[in-house]
Amino acid sequence: MRYTTDEFSGISSILKIDLKLFAIVMIIVFLGMITLFSVSSGDSSLMVKQGIRILIGLVAMILLAQIHPDNFRLFSPVLYFGGIFLLVLTIFFGVGKSADRWLDLYFLRFQPSELMKIFVPLMIASFYSDKSLPPKFKNLVVAAFIIIVPGLLIAKQPDLGTAILITTSGVIAIFLSGIRLVHIFLGLAFVIGAIPFLWSLMYDYQKSRILSFFSPDQDVLGSGYHLVQSKIALGSGGLFGKGYMNGTQSKLDFLPENHTDFIFSAFGEEFGFMGVLLLITLYVLATFRGMSISIKATDNFSRILSGTLILTIFLYVLVNVGMVIGILPIVGAPLPFMSYGGTSMLTVFAALGIIMSIKSHQRLMRK
Amino acid sequence: MVSKHRNETIRKRHRFEEKTGWEDINDPVRDRASHKLRALVASAIVFAISLFYLDHIFQIQINDHELYTTRAEDNRIRVRPIEPIRGNILDRNGTILAESFDTFDIVAKKEKIVSEENFIINAKKVFKFEKLEVDRLKKEFKNKKLKEITLQKNTSMEEFTKLSVDQYLLPEMELIVKSNRRYVFPESTSHVLGYTGKLSENDFDSTVEIKEGMTSVGKIGVERFYQNLLSGSPGFEKLETNANNEIIRVLEKKSATRGSDVYLTIDIKLQNYTYELLKGQRGSIIVMNPHNGDILSFVSHPGYDINLFARGISSKDYKKLLQDKANPLFNRALIGQYPPGSTIKPFFGIVALEDGIIDKSKVFACTGAYKLENYKRPFKCWKKDGHMDVNLSSAVASSCDVFFYRLAEVSGIDMIHEKLQKFGFGEKTYIDLYGEKTGLLPSREWKNQSRQTAWYPGETLNVGIGQGYFLATPLQLANATSLLASGGSSVTPHLFLRSIDRVNNEVSNFNYSDNKNEIEIDTESLHVVNEAMWRVIYDKNIGTASHIKKIDSLEFAGKTGTAQVYNLDKGKTGKKSLQDHALFISFAPFESPEIVVSVIVDNGGSGSAVAAPIARDIINFYFENIKSKVAMQ
Repeated sequence: MRYTTDEFSGISSILKIDLKLFAIVMIIVFLGMITLFSVSSGDSSLMVKQGIRILIGLVAMILLAQIHPDNFRLFSPVLYFGGIFLLVLTIFFGVGKSADRWLDLYFLRFQPSELMKIFVPLMIASFYSDKSLPPKFKNLVVAAFIIIVPGLLIAKQPDLGTAILITTSGVIAIFLSGIRLVHIFLGLAFVIGAIPFLWSLMYDYQKSRILSFFSPDQDVLGSGYHLVQSKIALGSGGLFGKGYMNGTQSKLDFLPENHTDFIFSAFGEEFGFMGVLLLITLYVLATFRGMSISIKATDNFSRILSGTLILTIFLYVLVNVGMVIGILPIVGAPLPFMSYGGTSMLTVFAALGIIMSIKSHQRLMRK
Repeated sequence: MVSKHRNETIRKRHRFEEKTGWEDINDPVRDRASHKLRALVASAIVFAISLFYLDHIFQIQINDHELYTTRAEDNRIRVRPIEPIRGNILDRNGTILAESFDTFDIVAKKEKIVSEENFIINAKKVFKFEKLEVDRLKKEFKNKKLKEITLQKNTSMEEFTKLSVDQYLLPEMELIVKSNRRYVFPESTSHVLGYTGKLSENDFDSTVEIKEGMTSVGKIGVERFYQNLLSGSPGFEKLETNANNEIIRVLEKKSATRGSDVYLTIDIKLQNYTYELLKGQRGSIIVMNPHNGDILSFVSHPGYDINLFARGISSKDYKKLLQDKANPLFNRALIGQYPPGSTIKPFFGIVALEDGIIDKSKVFACTGAYKLENYKRPFKCWKKDGHMDVNLSSAVASSCDVFFYRLAEVSGIDMIHEKLQKFGFGEKTYIDLYGEKTGLLPSREWKNQSRQTAWYPGETLNVGIGQGYFLATPLQLANATSLLASGGSSVTPHLFLRSIDRVNNEVSNFNYSDNKNEIEIDTESLHVVNEAMWRVIYDKNIGTASHIKKIDSLEFAGKTGTAQVYNLDKGKTGKKSLQDHALFISFAPFESPEIVVSVIVDNGGSGSAVAAPIARDIINFYFENIKSKVAMQ
């Protein structure tokens, strides 16, 4: 038998997607596409590739939206340990330019770390789904292991940015599961204590990136160059921007990675603060919509998972924007729904699909 | 159906409760409330962080907008200066002395070169490169900093036309235009024209105007003094470049403005002639018009090849010039300071007459030496046996030293210092060249300040015959002589005749009306002295230069000078560097002077034997070759 809510009707009910969340995200995708068109100076091949990725993402989203959340919970251990296995494989057989992030399966090249962005929250949510909440200390330790194992494996690749992001998304999941304040402080103390240890494990380029974050102007053509050029792009945009297709920093290649990690700066250069305000608002609205779905969800698994996934997406936004405006170190994280690139696009749409599945399969609440 | 489902759920929970006990049981209501609270807290954090971010972005985009706009423009805009064509320098008759011409550097941009090997093979063919050149090319390929390969520098248009037949072999060839300076008479005009060179740090705190985009500048001579006229204004191209420094497009372009052509008062034929006369000697010659200050010839010998400097002199060549004993870089006419010797006598004579210290018939007896109280050694006349009784006229004509010792003793140093100033001694002539020296017209005050000792009477005597501390530049001597020739109209000697603005062909002539300043010279006294200077050449009995060959068509006047060096007895040493300087000042024609000639030959010996014949030849040449030509025109 079917339970329907008032907002559940028409085409969205058939596709089991949330129209509001979908609409917000598609506006962001649209802004990403026009920015991509501008920075590639009308090179349509990039547009076509990105368009195909978006389509694949949408298909994945819709497919995942059809699957009942219970199935995600059921398969979560398989997915999680499968992901860990792939990460281990990557360490031995991985390929990549500066870091071995990619796994080459001959017919398919992908980053297993990208999968873990979803599998870790999934595993935590599933682990807590039948435990009493707030979680006991014992269960917190288990959850910490669920997070730390893939985190360390990814940091080993080395992909510090993703490792930190995945760890943080795990922490968000634990927070949403109802962790006690006492445990929060304990955790904070642990993290602060771990920083020197982590620093010693870091590669030189990672260290230099973090250091360059603190004094970006010192080595303009070195690692700080990215941030300096990014700030110049944004700052020269002003209130209303230089106008669409008129960005000089991005179009003349002063802004590095202008279609991937630094697409936000390219956008901000052409559309100014007003454009940035709109974009951030869209991301916040999408997050709020996701949180509203999480609040309305009927079981702990769904609540924790949907909340964690939407917050994780927002976290990626924060990390990306934070890095291009100089609040966070340059770690190489894409901007969800906007940056050029296949894996990241697929991941965020997949996360969106799971959120929509939770939204569309929720049981009616008793008043 | 609903109730059946609920019953099932309740049953499941009961079973679970039995198994795990109450404490572990999830309370859906409490879980839901707890989650909602946490979700709202998370949302609030999301909102707060977003505001924090927006505030930070606001700081970048709005508050620091101007700063970053400037930096963005700095990133993309390159301003490439366009060097203006420097004006030519011509002599008074329009003969080109210095000209600008374009040469081309043939280069190839590295990114356009497909195959390094083929490029070198073809370059060998086209330019007939030897191994040395090939090695240079290979080196330039290896040098990552170089963006282009230089195939050949300073190629003329004709050469390039020949080479371009083979352009199909080297399609990468590109031309870079370079403006060059060529001096037509590099040695004889070296101390007049000077040269241009690369702009350096020193040029910025000088009187020349350095415009943005200028790379070369007049360093010395006329090139320096008239830099602002000659240089023109650089233009620029505002280029948009990308991060790889590739030019995307030209945003703005302003052409350069050509510099003005400058015509000098120099007559190059006379200049070359006078320069040749000093061949093998060190010295200087100045020929000037006493009525308007035109410098017809301005020679310091030896000169040097200013083209070397225009091209950028090698340190080896420069060292050679510096070590040359004849000191070719030294502009003797402008900054050489010599004791004027006997050439001072006419001027001293005039002021003595004017002051009434003597009259023209006053006679002193010359016994070959002059005794001064408290001085053991007598002051010698150049003529051992003495000149017997001499008046001013015969003293000038015979260059009697004793007469002037006596005159100096009577006049005193204060009078000499004060009165000789009107002939410009001790003061710059303010010719249009930088670096001029003032010479030295000594005084008590000067000696007090510079030597901290009192003035001795014997020193006055030395000054009276143009020795001792007395120093004058060749230019000052010519300038002073022109006052005798013009009868007191003081003109500033100058090299500038006119300039022609090459943009609108506007002519600016030298302002002659501002260049005249009458000074008072007593006509009677002037007449006495000028006649004495005529006697120098034409009085067969006593004239010190009466032995020289005369000129048929005209008469001229002059005064010899033999300036002692290091107080040695004249000419006694065989060492050339310690020999006397030979001097001669003159004007011609005697009745209505048109030119003044001053000649100094460093360590040349006696003025009458060495300097006077040179002046005579110049006067002869001028009236035969230059003057007649001018008259004919």
